[in-house]
Amino acid sequence: MNCEVAHERIVLAAYGELADEQIHELDRHLTTCIECRTEREQLQALKTLAGAHPVQEPNANLVARSRMRLEEALDALPPKRWYERWGDGILNNFARLQAAPVAAALLLVAGLGAGSIGGYEVAQGRAAHTAAGNGAAQTLVKAEAPAAPATQAAVANISSIVRQPNSEMVEVRYNEVVPRQVEGPLDDPAIRQLLMVASEDANSAGIRDDSVGLLAAECRAGHSCNAAGIRDALMVALRYDRNAGVREKALQGLEPYVSEDMRVRDAVLEALLNDSDPRIRTEAINILEPVEADMTVRQVLSTVAASDQSPQIRNVSRQVLRRVPEIQ
Amino acid sequence: MNGPDRAQERLQARAPEMELIREAQKGSRVAFDALVRQYESQVLRLALHLTGSEHDAEDIYQEAFLKAFRYIGNFRFECSFYTWIYRIVTNLCLDQLRRRKTRKEDQAVLVDHSGDEIDLLASVSDVRSFSNPERELDRKVLGERIQAALSKLTPRERMVFELKHYQGLRLRTIGEMLNTTEETAKNTLFRATKKLRSQLAGCR
Repeated sequence: MNCEVAHERIVLAAYGELADEQIHELDRHLTTCIECRTEREQLQALKTLAGAHPVQEPNANLVARSRMRLEEALDALPPKRWYERWGDGILNNFARLQAAPVAAALLLVAGLGAGSIGGYEVAQGRAAHTAAGNGAAQTLVKAEAPAAPATQAAVANISSIVRQPNSEMVEVRYNEVVPRQVEGPLDDPAIRQLLMVASEDANSAGIRDDSVGLLAAECRAGHSCNAAGIRDALMVALRYDRNAGVREKALQGLEPYVSEDMRVRDAVLEALLNDSDPRIRTEAINILEPVEADMTVRQVLSTVAASDQSPQIRNVSRQVLRRVPEIQ
Repeated sequence: MNGPDRAQERLQARAPEMELIREAQKGSRVAFDALVRQYESQVLRLALHLTGSEHDAEDIYQEAFLKAFRYIGNFRFECSFYTWIYRIVTNLCLDQLRRRKTRKEDQAVLVDHSGDEIDLLASVSDVRSFSNPERELDRKVLGERIQAALSKLTPRERMVFELKHYQGLRLRTIGEMLNTTEETAKNTLFRATKKLRSQLAGCR
């Protein structure tokens, strides 16, 4: 082995990247070569020196600040439209198909079939249109939409308007929202699903308040709160709902899980650090009581005790911190 | 335990994470938040150490996770999510380091009272006892010098050295993250250590 190769292997060996047989070869070379032994010592010295610039854990404030900023930015992003998600799906599937030629061939055959049927439909449509233009038929009704919107249903949106050339006919494509009603017990999965949708999307704070209140009551009563993500829905409401009443109910619903579920604890800690309503921050301190000896909880309590704008909250945090022994 | 068993075990351990990724791909914010919580400390630790600035680390965190959110639909489970997110972060850090390269660079050479340069590698035995207050080089000054020497590396060398020396990753993984081969990562690490040594061993 020459010294040039040895120098390279010294680095790899120092970082545990050299194969066993090569380590053996290197050791043999080092016993006879003073220059390479010096090289190795210098590398060890470099490794020791580099320790003077150690990797540090990011502090809790930096983590909380970064997380808040990210959440705000994510909230500001427009939700992905169905066609964007569909496009992503197609791209993904396409990538998978690259590794699956048989499936790709099947898709091609299916595409050809669909194309032929589509072509036939278009040809038929054109034929009908020509006939209408000649005055043979005065009415042209598209199959996709009825002639007028149903009276009960509200028009959700208009997707396209096309006026046919040289005629009074206009084709309007629209989607409608049909009101529905469902009734069932609170533990019915369908009812729970609707309550969760209402807790996130309802435009009315009253509806969000009702749904979060009911979900929280289920959690407090211990009725399989984890099922179908109810706990997650409450955490989302606690973090993002604009209405303080809704956030308060969500917080109460999460109370039984603060000691067992780290995610719940994180959400409550965020509320304690960031919620704009002092009532919720105070309640968060009380809820954290069973886990107040936890290091993260202690850090957040110390931050709140030092910098919360409300003197009362600063005071309560200090009292809690004094009560808990220093190290657990 | 043989290879397939280990692979199977790894796959099982990753199952909940894969589920979260699939949910996030369908648009679930809750699932994406859970992924953020899983990786945020590592992302901040890397960005903070590389840039030495909380402000820059916060910006990199923000941009990395926003990118991840936007492009999670393109994640195809061909590599681990850890490698994928690190690839995003390392690219952003490289951009940041490249921007910095254009600014004025710090001096890596340490000078003593008489104006002579000090050989840091030769004084390494002193460095080992940082706690002794009588030593000429205290840990803080030395840390700054190491940082200055690191800033003399090219962004890519800096990144490979960071990922290997400080984050302890395998060269193979580093190659994957930086879209290059293990061999190239090896050569880059070798160049980085060589440059650092010459930076820190100034001649008297």
